Amino acid sequence: MNADASVKTKRKAKNTVKVDFDRTPFWQRMKAKYLTLYFLKRVVWALFRYVLLIGISYVILFPFFAKIASSFMSPEDFVDATVKLIPKYPTFDQYKYIVLENHYLKALLNTTLLSLSCAVLQTFICAIIGYGFAKFKFKGNTLLFALVIFSMVVPHQTLQLAMFMKFRYFDVLGIINLLGGGVFKGLDITGGVKYLNLTNQFTPLILLSLTGFAFKNGLYIFMMRQFYKGVPDELEESAYVDGSGVMRTFFQIIIPLSVPMMITIFLFAFSWQWTDSFYTGLFFTKTDIYMMKSIVAIPKSLDITFAASNLYNAAIRNTCGLMIILPLVILFLFCQRYLIQGIERSGITG
Amino acid sequence: MNNTANEKVAKAAPKKKRRIASLDKKKARAGYIFVLPFIIGLVAMYLPIIYDSILYSFTNIKHGADGYQLMFVGLENYRNALFVDTTYVQVLTTGIKQLFLDIPCIVIFSLFMAVLLNQKMVGRAAFRAIFFVPVVLSTGLVAKIDAGNELLSYMQNTDEGISTGAQSTGVSEIVSAMDFKYLFSSMKVGKELVDYVIDAINNIYNIVNRSGVQMLIFLAGLQSISPAIYESCEIEGASAWETFWKITFPMISPMILTNAVYTIIDAFTSSTNTVMSYIDQVYGKTDGDVLSSAMAWMYFIIVIAIIAVVAGLLSMYTFYQRRD
Repeated sequence: MNADASVKTKRKAKNTVKVDFDRTPFWQRMKAKYLTLYFLKRVVWALFRYVLLIGISYVILFPFFAKIASSFMSPEDFVDATVKLIPKYPTFDQYKYIVLENHYLKALLNTTLLSLSCAVLQTFICAIIGYGFAKFKFKGNTLLFALVIFSMVVPHQTLQLAMFMKFRYFDVLGIINLLGGGVFKGLDITGGVKYLNLTNQFTPLILLSLTGFAFKNGLYIFMMRQFYKGVPDELEESAYVDGSGVMRTFFQIIIPLSVPMMITIFLFAFSWQWTDSFYTGLFFTKTDIYMMKSIVAIPKSLDITFAASNLYNAAIRNTCGLMIILPLVILFLFCQRYLIQGIERSGITG
Repeated sequence: MNNTANEKVAKAAPKKKRRIASLDKKKARAGYIFVLPFIIGLVAMYLPIIYDSILYSFTNIKHGADGYQLMFVGLENYRNALFVDTTYVQVLTTGIKQLFLDIPCIVIFSLFMAVLLNQKMVGRAAFRAIFFVPVVLSTGLVAKIDAGNELLSYMQNTDEGISTGAQSTGVSEIVSAMDFKYLFSSMKVGKELVDYVIDAINNIYNIVNRSGVQMLIFLAGLQSISPAIYESCEIEGASAWETFWKITFPMISPMILTNAVYTIIDAFTSSTNTVMSYIDQVYGKTDGDVLSSAMAWMYFIIVIAIIAVVAGLLSMYTFYQRRD
């Protein structure tokens, strides 16, 4: 209020001036700062927020804890009523027999190969298609994009039968049928082969990935398009002015820019392909091709009947689930930063 | 500007054999090249698959030694699905009812959590990561294992846990429904609403699991709101409550529309959907393949209609900030 009264200036040496305030006492300052309704409100709100967030985090994480705990339990633990979360007789039996008898390693190898190839292909193809939709005007742009959305909305279950038949009797627009003498009797180049049987191979999924029609690819194309819409046109224009072609601009300037977004999409594609049971179930009809889907079973050595065997079986199934997602957890821990950044930057918001 | 200049150039040299394409044409061509994989897939695979799928729903398939034979049976499959199959209609109606009940729950919950996670606090990154765990880890196979998981309900019977995906009995519910009903019955808000809220709370695990992507969409939307608006609001003396309803809510309303549609699509295409799993089950039966096609198409048309209605209703109340 009255600054001059409370401020004393002392002249000590020639060039130094020391200003001395009449400071309000410590307790009074603390009181003014912390004993207010405003501060109280903030504390209550912060508490409420943390209770809520921690509570919901618990809801999300508890199933994982429960599964991990039960995966170390032996049959005795399930009979013992005092054992709930921490096993009394911990064993590695469940892991051991799932690896030994459910062909876990074979399934791991197969699924890694499949998921990796599909995810890499999908990431690049969706980036290319998304770029085409975002930056170029051509006839049918909106119609084609509407079809992308359409492919996102149609659930694959609807197309289950048709998709199976398509790849069981594979033929591109009747070409193979034509070459095999299906149309003209005289023309027979392939020796009577009128269709290809592509089931029990990776080919159907690779083909779907190559054309942007695999699981949720519509979403990825949509995300990439939104991302590229946010990239300023001037960037490419300056590249064009400098004499770079469209392709070179895309591969040398645009692709490096979109790496975080592509990591996001790679993660989605990889993890959704990894846990997929629909496509693997549809295309892999033989039982000797082990995918992640086929390891969810009770190993023979653990298939025993006792009072709590249904619980024990449930625990084994959950252990299978844990072993399926184990590689994904590692991936998620390393990449979750990109995942969330990527989505925030993608501007799905439009 | 550019267009006309290019056209003039093109007109000026009409007799040259090799015609120089205008920039627009060149770019259009490049656009086609980029989209080419999609077009090939569309023409060579997807559209035939869609066509076949619709066709199959009107036919009967006989698998032979050399390929298969189709017999056109008209609407028989549809008639069978609706009038002969006893469970389909029942599953369909409950599924659609559940869909309608789930949409507001998921949208409101994810908006609320997004607002919370958008505030500055210690450990925000960790919470965000945790909330995103289900999107990556609880899909597909794991979701299938979780559905009807006896283990989790058993584990939680000791501490009054929340029903985690599994069908829970009265013991493991987070709030004792009786207490809650008793509390609210005197407030006269309607029995249905109370039941709905209790169901939602007991089902929190499912809701959290299914609202990961929606939460991120809301988060992205919240971050695109200009801080200047909030600042001016604060200067004018608006409370947090007022700021939410007058600023955040209208600004986020386009994303509410997006999320509502996304939720429907997600629920509709997920493998844990009851209607879809019933259709899967029918697919596995003998001669059930064509029947399941018919069922799936019917369900698809109904859901498209629902999306149209919901999007239409919501877009009436959506606020678009005029940019430029």
